[in-house]
Amino acid sequence: MNIKNIFSQFKEGLYKTRKEFANKLGFLFSNSKDKSDFLEKLEELLILSDLGTSATAEIMNEFQQINFREYKENNFIFFKEKLKVILIDILNSTAPDIKINENRLNIIMLVGVNGSGKTSIAGKIAYRLKNINNDIIMVPADTFRAAAVQQLKILACKVGAEMINTKEGADPASVVYDGISAARARKKNIVIIDTAGRLHTKVNLMSELEKIKRVIQKEANDCSLEILQTIDATMGQNAIAQAEFFNKSLGVTGIALTKMDGTAKGGIVIAIKKELDIPVKLISCGEKLNNLYDFKAEKFVEALLD
Amino acid sequence: MFASLTDKFQTIFKKIKNKGKLNENDIKNCLHEIRIALLEADVNYKVVKEFIDSLHDKVQEEKISESLSPSQQIIKIVNGEITLTLGCKQNDLSISPAPPTIIMLVGLQGTGKTTTAVKLANYFRKKGHLPLLIATDIYRPAAIEQLQVLGEKSNLPVFSMGKNESAVNIVKAAIKYSSKKNNDMLIIDTAGRLHIDDKLMNELQEINENIPLQEKLLIVDAMAGQDAVNSAKVFCDKIKVSGIILTKLDGDTRGGVALSLKKVLGVPIKFIGIGEKVDNFEPFHPERMASRILGMGDVLTLIEKVETAYSKDELEKLDKKMKDHNFDLNDFYLQLKKMKNIGSVDQIMDMVPGFNNLKNRIDVAKLGDREGELKKIEAIISSMTVEERENPSIINGSRRKRISRGSGTQLSDINRLLKQFYQIKEMFKKGPKLKNFSFN
Repeated sequence: MNIKNIFSQFKEGLYKTRKEFANKLGFLFSNSKDKSDFLEKLEELLILSDLGTSATAEIMNEFQQINFREYKENNFIFFKEKLKVILIDILNSTAPDIKINENRLNIIMLVGVNGSGKTSIAGKIAYRLKNINNDIIMVPADTFRAAAVQQLKILACKVGAEMINTKEGADPASVVYDGISAARARKKNIVIIDTAGRLHTKVNLMSELEKIKRVIQKEANDCSLEILQTIDATMGQNAIAQAEFFNKSLGVTGIALTKMDGTAKGGIVIAIKKELDIPVKLISCGEKLNNLYDFKAEKFVEALLD
Repeated sequence: MFASLTDKFQTIFKKIKNKGKLNENDIKNCLHEIRIALLEADVNYKVVKEFIDSLHDKVQEEKISESLSPSQQIIKIVNGEITLTLGCKQNDLSISPAPPTIIMLVGLQGTGKTTTAVKLANYFRKKGHLPLLIATDIYRPAAIEQLQVLGEKSNLPVFSMGKNESAVNIVKAAIKYSSKKNNDMLIIDTAGRLHIDDKLMNELQEINENIPLQEKLLIVDAMAGQDAVNSAKVFCDKIKVSGIILTKLDGDTRGGVALSLKKVLGVPIKFIGIGEKVDNFEPFHPERMASRILGMGDVLTLIEKVETAYSKDELEKLDKKMKDHNFDLNDFYLQLKKMKNIGSVDQIMDMVPGFNNLKNRIDVAKLGDREGELKKIEAIISSMTVEERENPSIINGSRRKRISRGSGTQLSDINRLLKQFYQIKEMFKKGPKLKNFSFN
């Protein structure tokens, strides 16, 4: 798949989000009576995109200082550029993209609250990595949710990846242990771990995840470990608490933003990046296995504003 | 940093509590902070705007600034407003006069439809109905199996026809099947779908047009953000949703979406999901939700639950013990056991006024919440002498060592238990007396 193709798909997936945001932006600009009217509309727009009060306040602050009339007399592009710069600045990260280390075992573990799309994205990641000739083993560590193991198995089959077997109710940490052993025995270079959804406030369930991480650190100390938290784009401010708690327990290395094919803006990742400095690494929009993209701050913001 | 709405309100009210009179500026600041708190709770921007405007008028009308206890009045007004927005009375599900009653659950992906379907079926079975679950999610891998497994676990029948039949045909066949089996309550679990997915929205419309549905319930994640109103609106337009079930309320989300949905759509919220177990499911009470949002604690729910776990005598005895500072380790253990029947300690803390902001200080969530923790506590306490249990302050280092050997636990376990005991004791000393929320 060439790069250009990926971007056009990315934009297409974000089309609905983008169109709405951009339309509103144009309207916002042309219909404002004065600066305070404009600022109020800008606030509405940002809050409705789930950016949250804190990130919104920061952006508003930047616009407080501009000479509104000058911007108005020039045109919409100036204003848009300014907003773009601010958003990209928040979202930009020095954290590396997901890279496969050729000399080591690579472990990708998916965590997140219930229904945020962990299993689906596990399938999508496997599909993508399989296509560039990796040897993958999938580990169904969600032994709690009914039929979660079967769901992952079906996805693994579609992708053509192996999955280790387990049964419902098994200890997730031991499933992961088995997964790592199997990866070594069968000479796989990638392990993808799907975990059960859990609310970040459930202390015992969070320590279950910590235990899984300990097993990984013990059994595959030299591996390159990526802990991705799925954040549902339709989530509100509670996603900040989700990210905070998961990060505290596990040290999340990145966020996979899911369900971007709806009308929700996913602005919450801007708030999360701003508050907790956790980078977004992947973005998923669509139900097909290939609807997965690397997150690029510039492209994300451009897709929103262009 | 990520204080819940409850905490927010408590801070706001604490600020104004100490003031006898409020001036125009105080009111302005108060309203501003309420506004921010509501927005942080994901109440829809437009709803917040209306809410604050209406609040402003009320505050003006009631001449707050001249009143003697302004903070209480503002609390009353805010509480009243939220309750009003949420809807004033509880809305139960309607039962068809000519059985079977058919209920369809719809919603976005991952909101908890399948889990809720099973909870709902279990709820109706408890009320004497014979429910049948119908699996129509023919798209998501293993979705049908998920319902089957959940049904089996709870001993509830599930009707399915695999993935190759259309949803409407599955429902039709299920109705035929149910008449033979005497099922009077049919619950349709549908595939999660985006509101902008025309093909799948048509599927729902097809069921709606061909099947006599008594209730069409939209399942909404309580953690949802601003867009929830938009997607819910489309579901309402297309199939005239009759009620909402709010899921995943057992987290720390304040569920501002409840306020938005009721206000914008006028559709009542009927049930809430509060945990992963099949009976973690309750009817929605607007006034309770409002007081929970306000940080007044869900006193009503707690009283109901306490009533089932304690007799009146027991409660009075306990209260006296607290008052006389005689609360000892025997009582502590007994209370933990009882609390376990009421809910997790964390859940209880949420419901008691004044306790929910203690959560950050004490690691109460760990208490009795973990499997096996209670057993450990039992082992430790039964390894103590009668004297030690009644007067824990005498438990010194060598006694601790003995108890640790006797109970097969670590010294740190004993230290932790004692620490928790003193924290709880302290909390009861400072916190509300049990009588305050006992039977009135």
